[in-house]
Amino acid sequence: MSAQALTLMAARSPLLFAGLMTDDRQTIALGLRRRDPDLLDQLIEQYQQRLYRYLLFLTGNPALAEDFFQETWIRILERGDQYNAKSKFESWLFAIARNLVIDASRRKKFASLEALADPETQQPYEPPDLHSTSALQMLLARENQQAVQVSLLKIPAYYREVLVLRFHEELGLEEIAAVLAAPLSTVKSRLYRGLAALKSALSEGAA
Amino acid sequence: MNETLHQRAQRLLAESLVEGIAATDQSWLTQHLRECPDCAHEAAATQEALQALRGVPVSVPRDLVARTQMRVRLRAQENGETSRSNVLLWIITGASWLLGVFSAPLVWRGFAWFGGHFGVPRLALEMGFALWWGIPALLAVAAVLYQRAAAQNLAGPRAQRTENRLH
Repeated sequence: MSAQALTLMAARSPLLFAGLMTDDRQTIALGLRRRDPDLLDQLIEQYQQRLYRYLLFLTGNPALAEDFFQETWIRILERGDQYNAKSKFESWLFAIARNLVIDASRRKKFASLEALADPETQQPYEPPDLHSTSALQMLLARENQQAVQVSLLKIPAYYREVLVLRFHEELGLEEIAAVLAAPLSTVKSRLYRGLAALKSALSEGAA
Repeated sequence: MNETLHQRAQRLLAESLVEGIAATDQSWLTQHLRECPDCAHEAAATQEALQALRGVPVSVPRDLVARTQMRVRLRAQENGETSRSNVLLWIITGASWLLGVFSAPLVWRGFAWFGGHFGVPRLALEMGFALWWGIPALLAVAAVLYQRAAAQNLAGPRAQRTENRLH
């Protein structure tokens, strides 16, 4: 079923649509419990863009994003029976990916991601040294909107993360709270601060 | 402290994006933005920032999906083999335990004969008998530990590579 058809159906019959979505989740939950390889293939295909984008925004490094992309699906295979179909599959997927990144950063004390594990220190963020070129910067530099995109990297990872979940993935506040395992108030405050940081980073970049 | 009209507009602007605002607030904001060029500029800047965020081109590396699917299938296969060998292990352990239960009187008679013949103390005989009973369970534990160590060795190199990249 195409995305357009789904949107149309949601508008015409919200109740029926909600039922369909739940069925979809149940199907995924059952398949994951059975460790159905065909279902996993399909899910990897379906969520490739969203998961990779989330990981890229989170880590700011394409090579790391690739590694965590693969590890996330291995974790999904092994812990698939923990998905209870009560929440959206993508929320659970992002939460798994996030935990992997946090675990790895805790082990290696990766500076820019450390704050994800304990972001409520709320220290004022320092703009990064623009002369140090990260891999993501190099990737983005190939694109026409180089200045704008490089500016995004000035925002701390824990703000980039909520911004991408809210404005790219269009998750609800409760869903983001579930991904972050954080209270709703924290999600809101990070979104407000993130928006301010985004505007400030972009205006600095344009100056 | 009283909120100025502009502060209210800024607050509502942010709230409308993050958590949504009431219809009355929305109409007030729309009206204010029509009348106030500064706030309208701020609203446009926010929209531009969000468009820039949404416009970041992210293309998934070409073979990442295929590589991931392959890894997941391989891991599923390994897990399947492990779970089959686990089933076999449990069957063997169960069978050996049953055999132990049914043969216990006979074995104890054997132990008693051995003790009587060679003058072994009863405590040593009882300990030997308990050990004989515990052997299947000890072997099962050893096999499970061995399997876990093998699985960790398998996952090790890749996890190490990711950690090196983090470093």
